[in-house]
Amino acid sequence: MAEHEVDVDVAVVGGGPAGLAAALRLAGGGLRVAVIDEAGELGGQFYKRRAAPIAAAFGDFRPEGTALVQRVRAAAGIESLTHTLVWGAADDGGTLLTSDTRTGAAGRVTARATVIATGAFERTAPFPGWLLPGVVTPGFAMHLATMDRTPVGRRVVLAGTGPFLLPVACALLDVGVRVAELVEYNRPYRPRRDAFGALRHPARLREAAGYLLTLARHGVRIRQGWRVIAAHGDEERVRAVDIGPAGDAASRRVEVDALCVGFGFRPSTELARLLGCLTRPDPATGEEATAVDEDGATSLDGVYAVGECAGIAGVHAALVRGELAARAILRRLGREAPGTGAGGLAAARRRGRALDRFAALSERLYPVPADLATSLADETTVCRCEGVTAGEIRRAAGQGWNDIHGTKGATRAGMGPCQGRECGHLVAALAAPEGPLAFTARIPLKPVPVRTAMALGDLAEGDDAA
Amino acid sequence: MTRRQPRRHTSVDGRPAQPDAVVIGAGIVGAAAAFHLAEAGHRVVVLERGAPNREGSGTTAGNLHIQAIHTRRPGQEVPVDNRRFLPLQRRASDLWSTIEERLEADVELRRNGGIMVAETAAQERELRHKQEMERAAGIPTELLTGDQAREALPLLSGTVRAATWCELDGYANPLLITPAYLAAAVRRGAEVHAFTPVTAIDRVEGTAGGYAVRSAERTWTAPVVIDAAGPWLGDVAELAGIPVEMAPVVIQMHATVRVPPVMRHLVQHIGEGLSVKQASAGNVLVGGGWPAQRRHDLAGLAGGRGRASLSSMAGNLAQASRVLPFLAELRLLRMWAGPLGATPDEMPVIGEVPGHPGFFVAGGTYAFTFAPLWGETLRNLVIGKPPPEPVGDLGPGRLLSGKAVDRSP
Repeated sequence: MAEHEVDVDVAVVGGGPAGLAAALRLAGGGLRVAVIDEAGELGGQFYKRRAAPIAAAFGDFRPEGTALVQRVRAAAGIESLTHTLVWGAADDGGTLLTSDTRTGAAGRVTARATVIATGAFERTAPFPGWLLPGVVTPGFAMHLATMDRTPVGRRVVLAGTGPFLLPVACALLDVGVRVAELVEYNRPYRPRRDAFGALRHPARLREAAGYLLTLARHGVRIRQGWRVIAAHGDEERVRAVDIGPAGDAASRRVEVDALCVGFGFRPSTELARLLGCLTRPDPATGEEATAVDEDGATSLDGVYAVGECAGIAGVHAALVRGELAARAILRRLGREAPGTGAGGLAAARRRGRALDRFAALSERLYPVPADLATSLADETTVCRCEGVTAGEIRRAAGQGWNDIHGTKGATRAGMGPCQGRECGHLVAALAAPEGPLAFTARIPLKPVPVRTAMALGDLAEGDDAA
Repeated sequence: MTRRQPRRHTSVDGRPAQPDAVVIGAGIVGAAAAFHLAEAGHRVVVLERGAPNREGSGTTAGNLHIQAIHTRRPGQEVPVDNRRFLPLQRRASDLWSTIEERLEADVELRRNGGIMVAETAAQERELRHKQEMERAAGIPTELLTGDQAREALPLLSGTVRAATWCELDGYANPLLITPAYLAAAVRRGAEVHAFTPVTAIDRVEGTAGGYAVRSAERTWTAPVVIDAAGPWLGDVAELAGIPVEMAPVVIQMHATVRVPPVMRHLVQHIGEGLSVKQASAGNVLVGGGWPAQRRHDLAGLAGGRGRASLSSMAGNLAQASRVLPFLAELRLLRMWAGPLGATPDEMPVIGEVPGHPGFFVAGGTYAFTFAPLWGETLRNLVIGKPPPEPVGDLGPGRLLSGKAVDRSP
């Protein structure tokens, strides 16, 4: 028997910008909403909240996020289910199975419509030495710096690609980290015809310029068209990193005590895929994103996907997309007449399209290296949960018998606690580039205590899994 | 029965030489048959609709059931004839003992014995009856009190009042054994064609006989066809005009995250579908033949394996945690559904189809445990030697629904 039963009009899975924007608008339209998030506080990754002592000592982090979370917390009709993992679903998304991340208490949320706002993961790419202690993702280093005011190291190289590397570098500088090099795989920071489109987005340009100015003031060297070749270190931590121009054998060794490498973000589509929502390959990255219409409606009736899980487009797009999906649900449930606020609706859709164009521009400036997987040396570990190398995956696939699923069975790649979230795209690229882009999404979406799963014994057959 | 010898492999008119046998289905039974025939010098072609080992053989629990099978799956209407099983289990046990040497592969074979528990007085009586039957059949089992069982495996709960112990029970990794059979067959000259669905099977006219097995792109002609398509055995036979009645079901398995080694034995229950063991990697696997979602029945399985049922998940895990309480504190990592190629009478099916010389079928329940035996049996039936154990009563004749079309030219 589930210990917590919640019945609402709309379940919003994910308390980041997109989910919060959706929840506010839905509650404003008179609907009862549950916002469900694994973390202990709403805000998601972008509007992550500082613990009170850190906030008191160092001030608020992204105050607009604090304001948004406070409005959601104060809104009538919104129930915030934090510390709550959605690990399964039934009834085509109408029933969500939850688990309290602290106690394992089983719960069930039933709703008339579901908004998936599960965000994104950082895209990691293995290289020799990537498993050394002190090699982390930019997002993790950012979390340490902004939430805990803890420097990830004293002397750090930040590498990979994407606009995200800029605010991470600034956050590291802010806690006294010496950023030895910023190694950007692409060449986005030099004049080129492609970049002219950015002139239509002055606010975004100002933001980037601000970061670049800060880096210049601290004398951070930005190497464009360079990449990480290998990291070196010992059991204690990473000690040095070899970097060099992409496509060139030349390299330069830099002493470090931490290394942050990330190649942007990948949509978190597990819940959407579990429900059977169609996905589409993202044109720029080839990653799987939840397929949605302009208002966030997925292929499944009553299920909407907003924010990064439907395509990486940043916080501003996420806020607009959350709003648009909420308005579509209000219309669907008869809370907003189709003509109501038509001007506002058209404006929001226009803004959504403009932000999508900016995202597309960003993807053109920071393309993911096409050889992220194929360039891996055979001895490099790809699945770190199960310790499977690129060579083992290639050999299993090379028999000609195995697709991505057969390769998983033959090598155990993707069978560990992360369930293939980290390595799935690499295994797919190495084993079966023409096949599915990820492993099958199954219940449990993340490991849950056996007793949590047992607690759902009263499910009738008709309630059965999606 | 005619004795079939491997033919000479000459190519005529530059066309590739034709095989001696076409095996349809690269699950564990097809792979074992391919291995044993290739080892005997036959030229074997294995045709697999998808990736090898993707369906029942790769999704099964991987148990080696040597003590008598007494339990029904939840929802199973007909019990197996467990007395008939015993000599087959005894022989399969011997064959599993040498399998890793024979295939030159580590298949994570663990023969650490198994415990079958009883929790009620009636179940305890069943256990005693079962043990007498096993003794008569030469299967070494021992009756334990609840305390003796807990001494052997302290993780067992106080609800266990008696158990049988069989040192021959065990498990192997289902992800490894079928690929190992296929690899060993390939080393002996067999060809495996994955992603090659068979579209037609036609009787060849003339004195040579045999069958033309067609895929979208190619046709193989061979005197012998072995239909080892598991749950789809009937569908494949239908292509040759043979109406074999099967009763496939979809069942599910559960795996916890890895934990340090805590149990070496296979644990089963005499009254309920249950199997628990710790895999070599450390994950604890919980199964017992609980049904997956009904709406994803076999007809819907063409593009996937179906979906696990939440009620079966909850039921199977609750029951497993009642017998082994430590399970409740582990984390469930994964669950999956997989088909089981059962027959209407729950017994295996193996043999040549009456009226269709050279057309063999092999499958049915407990195919994982019996695979090494079925591999040798098929080889012997093909070459006209007596099988290791008599299987005349397990032939497909009993499953032909009377409308069998004799397509002999």
